[in-house]
Amino acid sequence: MTPARRRVVAPLVGIVAFCLAWEGFVRLFDVRRFVLLPPSAIVAELADAPDFYWSNAMVTARHMAIGLSISLLVSIAVGAVMASSRFIEEATQPVLILILVTPWVAYITSVVLWLGRGEPSILFMVAFTTFPVLTFGVVGGMKSADPSARELFASVDARPWEVFWRLRLPAALPSIFTTLRLALGLGLAAAYFSEGSALTTDGLGAIGRRAAASNLAETLWATIASAALLGIAGLAILSALERSLLRWHVSQRA
Amino acid sequence: MRSVSKTFGTLDALAPIDLQVDEGETVTLLGPSGCGKTTLLRLIAGLEAATTGEILVNGMTAEQARRRKQIGFVPQSPALLPWRTVEANARLLLDVNRGASPTTLTASVDDLLHEVGLGEFRDAYPHELSGGMQQRVGLVRAFAIDAPILLMDEPFAALDEMTRTDMRHLLGRLREPMNTTVVFVTHSIAEAAFLSDRVAVMSPRPGRVTEDIGIELPHPRLPELEDTDGFFHITTRLRAALSEGMDR
Repeated sequence: MTPARRRVVAPLVGIVAFCLAWEGFVRLFDVRRFVLLPPSAIVAELADAPDFYWSNAMVTARHMAIGLSISLLVSIAVGAVMASSRFIEEATQPVLILILVTPWVAYITSVVLWLGRGEPSILFMVAFTTFPVLTFGVVGGMKSADPSARELFASVDARPWEVFWRLRLPAALPSIFTTLRLALGLGLAAAYFSEGSALTTDGLGAIGRRAAASNLAETLWATIASAALLGIAGLAILSALERSLLRWHVSQRA
Repeated sequence: MRSVSKTFGTLDALAPIDLQVDEGETVTLLGPSGCGKTTLLRLIAGLEAATTGEILVNGMTAEQARRRKQIGFVPQSPALLPWRTVEANARLLLDVNRGASPTTLTASVDDLLHEVGLGEFRDAYPHELSGGMQQRVGLVRAFAIDAPILLMDEPFAALDEMTRTDMRHLLGRLREPMNTTVVFVTHSIAEAAFLSDRVAVMSPRPGRVTEDIGIELPHPRLPELEDTDGFFHITTRLRAALSEGMDR
């Protein structure tokens, strides 16, 4: 098998084998519907109302995209300041860690009380849960800029924004992409759960949580599958962006 | 520079040093590792402030000279930006702090790249180049801003012996038509002898200049020079000065 063909065939074989094992397990042990649905039932549910799931997935995708974009911008701004001063870095680190380790599901009710129902609370949660990781990625990446190159910039009295734009930000891109992958998973969980908690009517989380409350196992599992597909699509977009932006980086060379 | 010294905490990196470099002259700081030659170069570049003494670069303080882009700096590693092509890397110092760039250039970046044999590699990325080629881009990058002063910090230290020899011949050729003042840091006696008009021999703990030796070799400096008796005498002289400095 050629390497190109293997890269397509191998993952497919893995996923099909996993689904077959899942299907067999549910049928063989007669697992209760609400605990686990067989993949065939999930596919049937999705095929039954494709527009419904598609439009709700797009709502969740929008929450993810906007929330992550806000988070990325904030983390680049905060990270740039942190990377430029050891004192600020050491003062900010514990705060970021605090945000990172505090279980966000515990304070989401307070956020909804503060920002109200709907989109503002959801976007806040996606951005707030992802920005500490992204900031660590930005700081680490910016500090990895070649010290000799920094001297070179200093030797012609480069302005701070030039050092940021021409040196630190491009140097940070590889680590930003790595942490974006992590943030995508975190953000998707935050979006799904927040949609369910922010008393909205749209989004995979909103219909999933309602379905769970009404014992609609098919709907619940169809939203879970849709959310997983959304995550895969997000990762694929990140990989494509990475390939085009980081052609120069060692990770992207054959 | 007059009575320039540098202390890091309790460590005396440089004892008070007096050194004069004339316009168009190439002066090499030659010495073993840890003798403070790189520190001295960084002081001239305005990248570090002297603890005592005064440095004047064309009548300006080192800091002013840096602001006005009077100094072309060649660091030890090529320090190319991996996301920029060869040409974009060569232009880097022109692009940064653009306001202080000269409006007319004696040689364009393209000309310089051709001159060092990289004309066909303009669109290549640094990782596609050998170490010697990368450092040639580093030289072009420094020459490109047309600065009256070039400061070079052991630019060929990481290269193999053959490439290193080629590079000093190339640098000699590049420098010859320009009236650039060069301060070159090295621990290679051959580089010091081939490139310099004068060699300041340094010794460590604390760093100081032990001898200032004029290199009376004819210009232009061509590769054949290295096979002459005159060159041999100079290198012998420099080697003796180095070991005397160490014993002192």
